[in-house]
Amino acid sequence: MKRYDAIVIGGGHNGLVTAAYLARAKQSVLVLERRPRVGGAAVTEEIFPGFKFSMFSYVVSLLRPEIIRDLDLPRHGLHILPLESTVTPMENGDYLAAWGDHDETRRELYRHSPRDAEAYDEYGRLMHFMAQAVKPILGMVPPDPTSFAPGDLAGLLKLGKHFRDLGGERLHALVKLMTMSSADFLDEWFETDVLKATKSASGIIGTFLGPRSPGTAYVLLHHYMGELDGVFRAWGFAKGGTGAVSESIASAARGFGAEIRCDAGVSKVIVGNGRATGVVLENGDEIPARTVVSSLDPRRTFLQLLEPDHLPSDFVSDIRRFKFRGSSGKVNLALDSLPSFTCMPGVGRQHRGAFSISPSLDYVERAYDDAKYGEFSRRPYMDIVFPSMIDPGMAPPGKHVMSIFVQYAPYALNGGWTDAKREAFGDAVVNTVESFAPGFKSLILHRQVITPLDIERITGLSEGNIFAGELALHQLFFLRPAAGWAKFATPVRGFYQCGSGTHPGGGIMGASGRLAAMRILKDGT
Amino acid sequence: MSRNGYDAIVIGAGANGLVTAHYLARAGKRVLVVEQHESPDPSLDIGWVPAVIVRDLGLAGAGLRIQEPDPWITGPLEAGGTLELSRDIERSAEAIRRISPADAAKWPEFCQRLRRLAGVLERLYLAPPPDIESNDARELARIVGLGLYVRRLGKQAVIDLARILPMSIAELLDDWFENDALKGALGALGIWHLKQGPRSGGTAFNFLHHHAGSRGGVFRPARSNITQALSSIPGVELRRGERAAVLAKNGRASGVVLEKSGEAILVPLVVSSADPRATLQPIAFELDPEFARAVDNIKARGVVARGTLALESVPGYATLCIAPSLDYLERAYDDAKYGRDSAAPYVEVQRTDGRVELHVQYVAPGTHEDLTHKIARALNAQPNQVQVQAAEESLYHGELTLDQILFMRPVPGWSRYRTPIEGLYLCGSGTHPGGGIPGAAGRNAAREIL
Repeated sequence: MKRYDAIVIGGGHNGLVTAAYLARAKQSVLVLERRPRVGGAAVTEEIFPGFKFSMFSYVVSLLRPEIIRDLDLPRHGLHILPLESTVTPMENGDYLAAWGDHDETRRELYRHSPRDAEAYDEYGRLMHFMAQAVKPILGMVPPDPTSFAPGDLAGLLKLGKHFRDLGGERLHALVKLMTMSSADFLDEWFETDVLKATKSASGIIGTFLGPRSPGTAYVLLHHYMGELDGVFRAWGFAKGGTGAVSESIASAARGFGAEIRCDAGVSKVIVGNGRATGVVLENGDEIPARTVVSSLDPRRTFLQLLEPDHLPSDFVSDIRRFKFRGSSGKVNLALDSLPSFTCMPGVGRQHRGAFSISPSLDYVERAYDDAKYGEFSRRPYMDIVFPSMIDPGMAPPGKHVMSIFVQYAPYALNGGWTDAKREAFGDAVVNTVESFAPGFKSLILHRQVITPLDIERITGLSEGNIFAGELALHQLFFLRPAAGWAKFATPVRGFYQCGSGTHPGGGIMGASGRLAAMRILKDGT
Repeated sequence: MSRNGYDAIVIGAGANGLVTAHYLARAGKRVLVVEQHESPDPSLDIGWVPAVIVRDLGLAGAGLRIQEPDPWITGPLEAGGTLELSRDIERSAEAIRRISPADAAKWPEFCQRLRRLAGVLERLYLAPPPDIESNDARELARIVGLGLYVRRLGKQAVIDLARILPMSIAELLDDWFENDALKGALGALGIWHLKQGPRSGGTAFNFLHHHAGSRGGVFRPARSNITQALSSIPGVELRRGERAAVLAKNGRASGVVLEKSGEAILVPLVVSSADPRATLQPIAFELDPEFARAVDNIKARGVVARGTLALESVPGYATLCIAPSLDYLERAYDDAKYGRDSAAPYVEVQRTDGRVELHVQYVAPGTHEDLTHKIARALNAQPNQVQVQAAEESLYHGELTLDQILFMRPVPGWSRYRTPIEGLYLCGSGTHPGGGIPGAAGRNAAREIL
């Protein structure tokens, strides 16, 4: 049987990025994917005949530009369409809108608060700068502060210098962003509640925190990482859905000579003399390899693919306490036609952007309160897009698809998730939308409700956490996934990790996959 | 020296103000302390009294008493009986074993690990905060020294420090323990004087902050009569019942004006131990707008009511804690989040010299309907036994959240007790290291001034 240079377990976007980079360096690479298609949580599926959905992850903004360039992804079919606007319907029938056009957004803000319109530009400049300051850290291998190795010390010094070079004011802003709640941070800038609610809603995505919980401000930066001209939302939508992103990376990997096998779940990593030597498939087949790389989340990578006696016990307990706590759900709808929202009646350009159901800070905070005590939000925060408006190929002519990202839906629901609970959750979502868009329910042709438990069952992401482990401050950088093992290597020689559970993690970014590949190539195993 | 004979005026005769005044006096300055209240408030003397201050100012000879009750906490158990935690780690473990053998087994290591981290904070707190922007070789050497000190504590300490500080106290306690009563009694310290619930990030730091100065296994700050002791030592002149405002012109402090009499006292050095906002906002016209905005942005939301409980006889406990679980605390916080007093508040009853004091959290700004009823219900007492006063603002002059500590306190970049007004310094708990450590900010400030 052929012995590969590298086997990559899991064909999510990070696994594919690692495979593509390794194959590009002339290694023989095999990707093993459990499901019938690649993509992991970045897949497009035709759930109902004629209606295609980005089933889980639905927007792209953080995909690293160097990856797009190195792998020449546009040639492999990647085409990002802008998702320009965000409209937040308010409970009083008014709305807050942010448009692609900067001046128009300012005029809209001015309508709510002249003071906020003034502060908005300064805020945008600061955030833009901060995003630039943080970007290099996302592309850096985290130095280990517990180590005395020259490389780690140099890395720490470099990091220290990077921060000092920011200068006082920006350094202080960075500290605030890393430690404050998004509500408190925004309070220092703005007075319009609905503006603060909509902005801070982005800070809670994928976390088990409310907008008033410290640690949520940092994610505000993410919105400024992919954009250039100060618009307040610069998410993109991949033509063909997020599955097209995965397909383009897979195509690039194949182009470099990587082999990708679907319906090939891995049950164990084979370890001999403290070294990974291959994998066992769920069907019992064994495939040998010089290097094995897991793109699965840390819990499955270390507690499922390996036997506990292959790992130091301290490390095992670190991985056991790595937190997942999935908190998001998704409702995918096939629609007969587009709904009309009370705040902005009719169908128009607003449907080419997002609707954010975040009418007030208290609204979002209350949604969190439900989840805190083990219930799904009765009136959840939602991020709604109509992909068929941007990419008509997603739905049959005249019909539409609607993607609703929902928070909060705790994985550990009181009494556990059942079919009835799933439908009750779906009803809560649909009824809440109905309250902002009367008549909407009658347009629904088909409905798919995805709970965190479903995310776990289908994609394998533990507890349905969309980031393969919470993006909390104490699980970032050299602590992701565990202190001492944040540099993609593992305690088992020849076995590496490359998923979103490693630095920097989060979103369809691909940075973890790329850094892992570079580490493997450097080690030359 | 100015004509009136003073070199410096210190505003406020709390522990920090008096400590600053005495250190300045010992350096040969003639110091006047102006205090708005007629008599000191003994209920504020809560927290670690650093030994170096006791030694430097000879407080032991001035009648300083530090109370360290044993057991340090008593919590009623739902099933009847109480959980009592003692100063002795083994005895506490014994008590915990009755409610959870698993938790008892982890208690000694928990105490030891947190004690080690508190040691790092203690080191940080007895000096001005590290200035990470500085290019001064000595300051850089100090920062490197601090880094090496932490590393010498071992790999686990470095990891603990990085992991625990941003965590919520609930996450930290859930990592270690299973019993609700134990987690409630410990978790309460994580929310002390904070408008945050136990599930909010940064509350593990707040817990550790209040552990500083205590021995391992004791998670409530000591109480003392430090203000009284400081008032009784000679060397500074103290004028009570006068509220003083800073006089500033052309970027320089020129003295203070006493509000009651209108008397102006001109001195070249003014040090305020009052709230930074209260000190600086009246002279905002003298400040750079950026700095003034930073001062306005100091978060100092009041969430605590303090008062007394009238009891017929001396209670059998030293400190009684009504915080039966982390969820209880979290729900108490939920009310505060939406601007209401907690329906079921966290209440702590502290027996002290002839008084029984109350610490109640959370109270919201504004009117406090039925607050005494709510407190009485939590305590199983009668409303007429309860007398409390809610503080509109943080007693720490600034919440101890991660964005308001070290070089971010009181405002980013101005953590060295100076202000943009020449001759005006700050020395209160709004500055590093913050509240709950009487005298530490005062001593650091005096050393910076000198």
